[in-house]
Amino acid sequence: MTTTTTAAPAIRADGLQRSFGDTLAIADLDLEVDEGAVFGLVGPDGAGKSTLIRMLATVLRPDAGEARVFGHSVRTQAGQVTPRIGYMSQRFSMYPDLSVAENLDFFATIRGVSKADRRSRAASLLEGMGLAEFTTRQAQHLSGGMKQKLMLATTLMHEPDLLLLDEPTTGVDPVSRREFWRILAGLHRAGKTVLVATPYMDEAERCTHIAFLDSGRIKQSGTPDEIKARVPGRLVEVSATRPRAALAAVQAVPGVASAHLLGDVVRVLWSGSAEPEQALGAALAAAGVDGAATREVAPDMESVFAYLADPATGVAS
Amino acid sequence: MRQALIRIGAIVRKEFRHLGRDPRMLLAVVIMPVIQLLLFAYAISFDVDHVQTVVIDLDNSPASQRYLRQYEASPFFDVVARGRSLADVDSAFDHNTAQVAIVIPSGFSRTLAADESAQVAVMVDGSELNAAKVSQAYSVALNQLYSQELTRDWADAQGLDLSSLGLLEPRIRTWYNPERRSSDFLIPGLMAVIIAIVTVQQTAVTLVRERDLGTQEQIEVSPMRRIELMIGKLLPWTLIAFLDVALITVLGRTLFGVPLRGAAPAFALGAMLFVFASLGMGLLISALAPTLDSANMIALLVAFLPSFLLSGFAFALDQIPVWLQWISYGFPARYMVTIARGVFLKGAGFTELWPEMAALALYALVMLLISAVLYGRRSSR
Repeated sequence: MTTTTTAAPAIRADGLQRSFGDTLAIADLDLEVDEGAVFGLVGPDGAGKSTLIRMLATVLRPDAGEARVFGHSVRTQAGQVTPRIGYMSQRFSMYPDLSVAENLDFFATIRGVSKADRRSRAASLLEGMGLAEFTTRQAQHLSGGMKQKLMLATTLMHEPDLLLLDEPTTGVDPVSRREFWRILAGLHRAGKTVLVATPYMDEAERCTHIAFLDSGRIKQSGTPDEIKARVPGRLVEVSATRPRAALAAVQAVPGVASAHLLGDVVRVLWSGSAEPEQALGAALAAAGVDGAATREVAPDMESVFAYLADPATGVAS
Repeated sequence: MRQALIRIGAIVRKEFRHLGRDPRMLLAVVIMPVIQLLLFAYAISFDVDHVQTVVIDLDNSPASQRYLRQYEASPFFDVVARGRSLADVDSAFDHNTAQVAIVIPSGFSRTLAADESAQVAVMVDGSELNAAKVSQAYSVALNQLYSQELTRDWADAQGLDLSSLGLLEPRIRTWYNPERRSSDFLIPGLMAVIIAIVTVQQTAVTLVRERDLGTQEQIEVSPMRRIELMIGKLLPWTLIAFLDVALITVLGRTLFGVPLRGAAPAFALGAMLFVFASLGMGLLISALAPTLDSANMIALLVAFLPSFLLSGFAFALDQIPVWLQWISYGFPARYMVTIARGVFLKGAGFTELWPEMAALALYALVMLLISAVLYGRRSSR
């Protein structure tokens, strides 16, 4: 497959819509993903990430609107779309009783990959993902991280130009997640386009572009830096021995746009004109929260997500 | 076309791998049929003979003893005990030591001597329905024989020659299965049951499983057409169904001496049509069933039960209620049982069995078409 010379973006969706019963999963959604991007779809559970990805993968029909993948309609030209995409669903969908090698070989065979290519690609993919020594192991006996890597390898066997990955690292340990993203970075360097849904903000940070999806609509999109810049105010971290008490103490302070717990620190988005350390320190002392320390930090995706997901602040823009 | 064949081949190979790695499934499709064959041929028998019988002779006369000797001489009754009172009947039935009791009341010989009709009580344990029915018929027959003997004695005493009197003597011959062995009757029919279980059950489950595993979506993003998937899914089970048929035929003939009197090709064609009809049924279930469990249940309901109960395999179809007979026409098993028995026992061929074959062909066609349409609609959500 040669890279397209036409100007068609990897993905272009216009007014895409899909509901399940009375629930509107995707509402009038527009989206454009350029070739070569690592495009992150972030948003809470039930935001419509899977629905969107499945429509782009042609396994789910849109109720209205249109989406084109490399210029081909997912509604009417699925036959031209599917050879160029690799689709990895959210849940593990390989045959548990078949071995790693057998799963790879089966899906590549039905994708029309020749025998010689199947052999060489399987060898190099498994090698590159650290699965080479597990080729004969049944898929059901793989660890969570290995299962996800097997799925990714499977979607790569026919050398697609666009990868549609639906929460590929959910439920995977941090080491395997890092490993998985190292592989994605390699694919990005090789020129593949990646659309990846993720609930993890540190993963969103690694994307070239992000769209924040909520209730079936895209609320924000842009590069991570652009999105971070849209969050008004400064980010302050409050650490205390009793973080919940600290959270309660700072919530009502004038100038606090939002406050939430992240691990055992309270993250405060400060939009007041005064210096946040003093105002917050006074409130904490008044509430009797001992040993509290405040410091300003650079905004990251985690805080942006918390800000955007907060119903009081998030959907405003 | 070549690509399509490669894809179908991939599915077939994968299905055999699943089968090879699932001991339970392997058991269900290869070992179970053999076990069923042995079970039906050895253990479950509709043959009724050597019925355990208790006799109670309250008359204790030469006439009553002569009457009872008939029972002792008959291969049908085994006189296992002699009781003294009616209470012994209760106890024998309760303890299952006898299914039939013959009670000769006192005064039996006196009544006969007075040239009146004497009464003998024959009691049967109705909880063993089949044995009870047959015992009843036999004892009525024995009574008639005894009456004839008495008539002859009486005639002799009167100096009459009854040989000039035409007596009706039935000569009953059972065609096709002269020894009336139930294994001859059951084994050809058993094939229908086993094909139905293997094909309907497994095909019903196999497509639902792809949906459950999520692999269906991966197949959908491949160039594989639905018809290719269907063919790839059906081929392995077709092969296994035929393997089972061959296995049962060979075991039936070698172990149980079931005759194969008719044209084997006619049977093979009938079996093939029945396999397709059953596969169609299985596909239909898999297109409609929401979960694996429900697919299993529905398959059991529409394949196993009708092929067992509404096919004539075990119960004669003209003896079940008329509305059930009508329902039985809606399931392919009855046609297959007719074909199997026709070929194996009656020596029938295409000439006699074409209506059943036509019915099966039509059934298969309709089922496969409906399921192809439904399956197509279902997956283009």
